[in-house]
Amino acid sequence: MTERIDLPQGTLDLLILRTVALGPQHGWAISERIHQVSSKVLQVQQGTLYPALHRLERRGWIKARWGASENNRRAKYYELTKSGRKQLETEESEWKKLTAAIAQVLETT
Amino acid sequence: MLNDILIRLRAMFRRKRVEGELDDEIRFHFDRQVEKYVREGMADDEARRRAKLEFGGMDQVKEECRDARGVEFLETFFQDMKFGLRMLRKAPGFAAVAILTLALGIGANTTIFSVINTVLLRPLPFPNLDRLVLVWETDASKPDDPDSFNIVSAPNFWDWEKQNDIFEKMAIFDSAGRGYNLSRGGEPERVSGVRVSADFFRVLGIEPLLGRTFLPEEETAGRDREVVLSYALWMRRYGGDPQIVGKQIRIDGEDSTVVGVMPQKFRFQFWSHERELWVPMGYTEGDRGRDSNSFLCIARLKHGVTIAQARTEMHTIGQRLMQEYPKEDHGMSATVEPLATAGMQEVQKTLMALLAAVGFVLLIACVNVTNLMLARSATRNKEIAMRRALGARRLRILRQLLTESVLLATLGGVAGLLLALGGVRLLGSILPDALRSSPLRPVTEIPLDTRVFLFALGISCAAGILCGLVPAFTAYKGDVNGLLKEGASRGSTESGGRRLRNVLAAAEVALAVVLIAGAGLLITSVARLLGVDPGFNTKNALVMGITTPQVDLYYGPPTNELFCEQLQQHVGSIPGVLSVSSISTLPLAGMATRAVTAEGEPYPGRDNNPWGKYNLACPSYFRTMGIPIIEGRELLDRDAVDSEQVAVINESMAHKYWGKKDPLGRRFKIGHPDSTGPWITVVGISRDNYQRGLDRSIYPEFFRPFTQAGWPVMTIIVRTASSPLAFTQVVKKALAEVNPDVPVSGIQTLDDIVTDSVGDRRFPMLLLSAFGVLALALAGIGIYGVVSYGVSQRTQEIGVRMAFGAQPRDVVKLVVGGSMAWTLAGIGAGILGALGTARLLSGLLFGVKATDPFVLGGVSLLLLAVAMAASYIPARRAMRVDPMVALRYE
Repeated sequence: MTERIDLPQGTLDLLILRTVALGPQHGWAISERIHQVSSKVLQVQQGTLYPALHRLERRGWIKARWGASENNRRAKYYELTKSGRKQLETEESEWKKLTAAIAQVLETT
Repeated sequence: MLNDILIRLRAMFRRKRVEGELDDEIRFHFDRQVEKYVREGMADDEARRRAKLEFGGMDQVKEECRDARGVEFLETFFQDMKFGLRMLRKAPGFAAVAILTLALGIGANTTIFSVINTVLLRPLPFPNLDRLVLVWETDASKPDDPDSFNIVSAPNFWDWEKQNDIFEKMAIFDSAGRGYNLSRGGEPERVSGVRVSADFFRVLGIEPLLGRTFLPEEETAGRDREVVLSYALWMRRYGGDPQIVGKQIRIDGEDSTVVGVMPQKFRFQFWSHERELWVPMGYTEGDRGRDSNSFLCIARLKHGVTIAQARTEMHTIGQRLMQEYPKEDHGMSATVEPLATAGMQEVQKTLMALLAAVGFVLLIACVNVTNLMLARSATRNKEIAMRRALGARRLRILRQLLTESVLLATLGGVAGLLLALGGVRLLGSILPDALRSSPLRPVTEIPLDTRVFLFALGISCAAGILCGLVPAFTAYKGDVNGLLKEGASRGSTESGGRRLRNVLAAAEVALAVVLIAGAGLLITSVARLLGVDPGFNTKNALVMGITTPQVDLYYGPPTNELFCEQLQQHVGSIPGVLSVSSISTLPLAGMATRAVTAEGEPYPGRDNNPWGKYNLACPSYFRTMGIPIIEGRELLDRDAVDSEQVAVINESMAHKYWGKKDPLGRRFKIGHPDSTGPWITVVGISRDNYQRGLDRSIYPEFFRPFTQAGWPVMTIIVRTASSPLAFTQVVKKALAEVNPDVPVSGIQTLDDIVTDSVGDRRFPMLLLSAFGVLALALAGIGIYGVVSYGVSQRTQEIGVRMAFGAQPRDVVKLVVGGSMAWTLAGIGAGILGALGTARLLSGLLFGVKATDPFVLGGVSLLLLAVAMAASYIPARRAMRVDPMVALRYE
């Protein structure tokens, strides 16, 4: 089994927004995609994924609609809204600043 | 934000649908996961097991999703509401008493607030109101003190207008105004009107609905036969005739042209009831005296000019005029005051005192309900303990209990609004003139508008929280295990609860004392005031107003010299009429004043009020009014136009101008020492009577024969042998014989006039008394509730005492004595409170001090008696406790 690490606080929203920015996705696909793209390092628990999706929907950053899945079942697809895209940009730049800063601190000591 | 609310609402109202979707979504995920594991080569059950394991509790995931959607907050609220309603249904007696109690408190508050809303909070309908001011003549030594504000003379106004550069526009209008007789086209009718200068409407910023307002040239006498009608008059008398502009109507027997009609929203009153027509100034000779102060001045400030700047500028102009006209404008200056708040100080004080009083009623109601809830919480302790044992957090329980009490108060608020609906109707019928005719605020009805509803909602919620706080906090005290055990509800927490209830009951007594002391002080004031001898005989006298034709308003000889003679002939001959006369300004009905200079005596000087009340009267005035003549004679038929100019003066005038000398046969003139008026000889001295109100000082006063100087509006006084109102029709008929075109108005008895003169106090007195009675009843119920609950809790103890030989008398002593202790504490606190809040009433008291020992003592005794009665009933029940039965409880 691959090594897995827990998501730092607050990064789940960023990952979800980033993932749905590529196009409408349902919940399972979002968690799979994060898993794949992170080379199986990041695993999003269902117990945190769905509450997060519903919270983001309430905030108006993503919106949901029902559609047919690849295997022709009814699935709930999430897509990024305009304000979600803005939110993604801010969170992305903040995250980059943060990691750069942390990296700098780690390198200088 | 909107999205947030929509999602929350959808979660609530489309609950099934949303839940179903959530199920589908989670199930889809689960199935895909299983599929994935199967594809990776797992067996079907193995894949399922693994997916389930990963998932954790599916219900927990759903629950967290629900939270994320924000269902919880509202859901809990509705749950609590439902539960609260169920609790209320289970205790209908408690619910009814609590709701009714709160309804009385909230209803009273809403009623008073709707009066405040109508009188004080309604904005004046003038554009850019903050730039509108009143301009006053004032005392140069304290120019901005409202007590020195005086109405203005036309020449000073003209100079202000020329010299200032702070006002966009200025205007003046008659401070008194008068009734104008409309004849032709319907019944003769007298309507209230006022003369205004040309810019009057433009200063206020109101455009006419039809036609135009006045032009500057119409201020000249002879060019002034023109009139602007109010919307109400136009509708009522002229049926809203759209062609009215340009038509002739008959005013005071002369033709006038209607030049404009004002819009419906423009309603105007100032120191009077609403005006219905406006006529141009048409300055008379009398208006042109620099010391003829008879106008109110309004002005519109230029953009950006502050009140402070305007005051400074007016002080400067006032000083300049004082130097220029040292005689007339001696010691005078000028100042401004914002129009929006002008003349509202007294009204505001009265209304705030009443609001404070109803606030107390509501507090008492809340304390009552709190006590009811505390008594009930003893029975609910077990339920609460159960909830706690099951893990309910403190905040959660607090919230549930508060939701319940707010629910209770909201139901009370709805009932209170219904009460207020009746309350405003009742209040509307007893509203005193001081409120009904506040400057610029005509009150014809007291509407319950949105603001009133919001107020009722607000105080309902506040009352609900207030009532619920103490029970909610005490509910969490105590040991869960102990409380859950059967029969353990009477432990140590109970004595703490009793102490709390007693403190609350004492608070209730204290609040009631404050309120009833206020009512008592006002009742005493009104009684003392009505006990004052007005200086004339009020029994069996009918009065009514009538206009006389007068060419030179307020000055010069009467146009109809025969007025008094005709009155005597037609009304004096009616059987049962003892005597009849007439006067220009009836006592207690206002003042017209004139400067006075006594011949050969030092002039008192401008600072020393060198003026007296000015009256014109028909013969037999003093006999008809029942005012004694102390010396000399009264006005007689022989005082004619061409005979010697004479006057009767009152004692105060004799004293002020002649000191110890006998004024009979001495002379005075109207105006300042160098005025050119004729000398008037004093022929009689009358006993003083009150002029502006029974609580005001008495001013010097003189009475001239009507034949020697006219007046446009006279009040007829008819002294009758029996009930005066029965003479109304015959007197009206007799007057119609003289002049069918002249209507009479304001038919009253002298008794009514005296009673009405204390109306400003009677209104708050009536309300405070009503609130006092309410407070007393609520306090009585509250005390009864606390004592009887205490007795029911102590049944065993009382049983034991009786088993050991206590007599019923001892039991009564125990119960009543116990409640007396906190009642007395409450009374003590209440008296301190009454002394502290007396300031609110200071302006309304007469002949009684806020510290009056009789009032405060009486109130204390009253509450003591009520508390005793309220405790005695449960005490008697305690007395009848059968020791055997009581002990068997244990």
